[in-house]
Amino acid sequence: MRRLFYLVREAWANMRTNRMTTIVAILTTAFTLTCVGIFLLLYVNLQHAAGWLQEDVKIMVYLEDRLSRDGRLQLELMLKSDHMVGSVLFISKEQALTEFRAQFPADSHLLEGLGENPLPASFVVTLAQNFRSPEAIKGWVDQVQTMGGVAKVDYNQQWISLLAELIGYIELVALGVGILLSAAAVTIIGNTIRLTLFTRREEIEILRSIGATGTFIRVPYFLEGAVLGACGSALSLGILKVGFELFRQQVQFVNRFSEMEGLISFFPLSACLALVLAGTALGFTGSVVSLLRIGEGRV
Amino acid sequence: MDAMIQLIHVSKWYDRRPALSDVMIEIEKGEFVLLMGPSGSGKSTILRMLIGEEQPDEGQLFVQGKNVTKLKRSEIPYLRRKVGSVFQDFRLLSKKSVFDNVALPLIVQGVSEKDIRRKVTEALRAVGVEHKRDQSPSSLSTGEQQRACIARAIVNGPVVLLADEPTGNLDPELTGEIIELFKLINARGTTVVVATHNHHVMHQVNCRVISLMQGVVLPERAMPERVGV
Repeated sequence: MRRLFYLVREAWANMRTNRMTTIVAILTTAFTLTCVGIFLLLYVNLQHAAGWLQEDVKIMVYLEDRLSRDGRLQLELMLKSDHMVGSVLFISKEQALTEFRAQFPADSHLLEGLGENPLPASFVVTLAQNFRSPEAIKGWVDQVQTMGGVAKVDYNQQWISLLAELIGYIELVALGVGILLSAAAVTIIGNTIRLTLFTRREEIEILRSIGATGTFIRVPYFLEGAVLGACGSALSLGILKVGFELFRQQVQFVNRFSEMEGLISFFPLSACLALVLAGTALGFTGSVVSLLRIGEGRV
Repeated sequence: MDAMIQLIHVSKWYDRRPALSDVMIEIEKGEFVLLMGPSGSGKSTILRMLIGEEQPDEGQLFVQGKNVTKLKRSEIPYLRRKVGSVFQDFRLLSKKSVFDNVALPLIVQGVSEKDIRRKVTEALRAVGVEHKRDQSPSSLSTGEQQRACIARAIVNGPVVLLADEPTGNLDPELTGEIIELFKLINARGTTVVVATHNHHVMHQVNCRVISLMQGVVLPERAMPERVGV
């Protein structure tokens, strides 16, 4: 018990003795982890947005004008019985024209010159929850495209693919930046521990001479590294949260983006805990790196 | 008699300069031995080898039957727990109290709180600085600091006590007190080896003297009386 108490007390004493170095290490770790956090937050929110957009994907199945009423009903039945389909809504030629006039009142005169209603009848299809990935949508569209009576199938494929591509890039950048800045955090904490070791080298010599094992000497420094990492990551979460709230307030003020407010969100509690744990692990790794050279007995 | 320390054909070089040349020493259990010689004669090198701080280039060293030269790195701390060390510069931690300094070897070994309190109090009492237990080492006189250092070396009941120039920083009166302390520790059965260049020490204690000169052991002089065994 006293041994454990001694080790914890030594770790605390190390941090207090080198107060300035400790503060600098926590701040720089917090800063580097904040940079990683920004990318993570962007990634998480874009994924969230992508999910929301995919929820809203409506596939327009335009029908050939010569398709009979029976043919149309048969096609509707086929679509409704498809396990990939969530809902089907029929829009007749007349309804399409009415909607066009309602949406584009200034341009409605353009259609009047054509005489007959040029707009096709269509089905507005929403796929079932499990089949809304870009791949699933494309596969379904390709299949429906070949059906009799179908003139064209349309959906905002380009937009979805672009978003998926963007998320992929952000994922890569977040990974790269994450690895790079994590290495920086490990180096910063490693250097702090090395400084502590330097200031306490006499004490380490004394501990060795009285029979302390390498583990006994190392543990306070491992604890110190882990605490620095945990404090740095907790602080970075605080900075991110403040930054996130400020951003959300700005979004609220700008009417054009007011709908976005409900879409963006901060890390859930479990992710926050995971980030603090990751910071602790980085700090621990930093101290392990700087303590590798401490032998078990011989200098 | 059992040999507590054995050096068999031990040699050591620093930058091709011999520090020890074919040294043969045997110290028996319970003996009090003075390692005498001027600076650079190899006294400290022998003491450092006995606690595994240095390795000989040739030969073998045994402490209580264990071949120190064959010990793994991980076994050296356990050797040091059996061999108490006293240094010329005391090596006390200034940020800890005298009690905490003396308790350190016991904490390292995971001794219980109750035993730590008992053993530290006994060790401090044995060296006569019990009343200074809560003070910082820096507030102690040099003699008291050396006593605290000796208390730390004997607190876990080592089989051997090695002292490297323990009176180097002390005046003749304090030197006498410290030597008397070593005699007491030796009388309790601990083998004591004191390395010194101070000839006054030799006159204060009747014991075996091993003289070194430029890394070579000189023929031993017969002493009329031995302390301890």
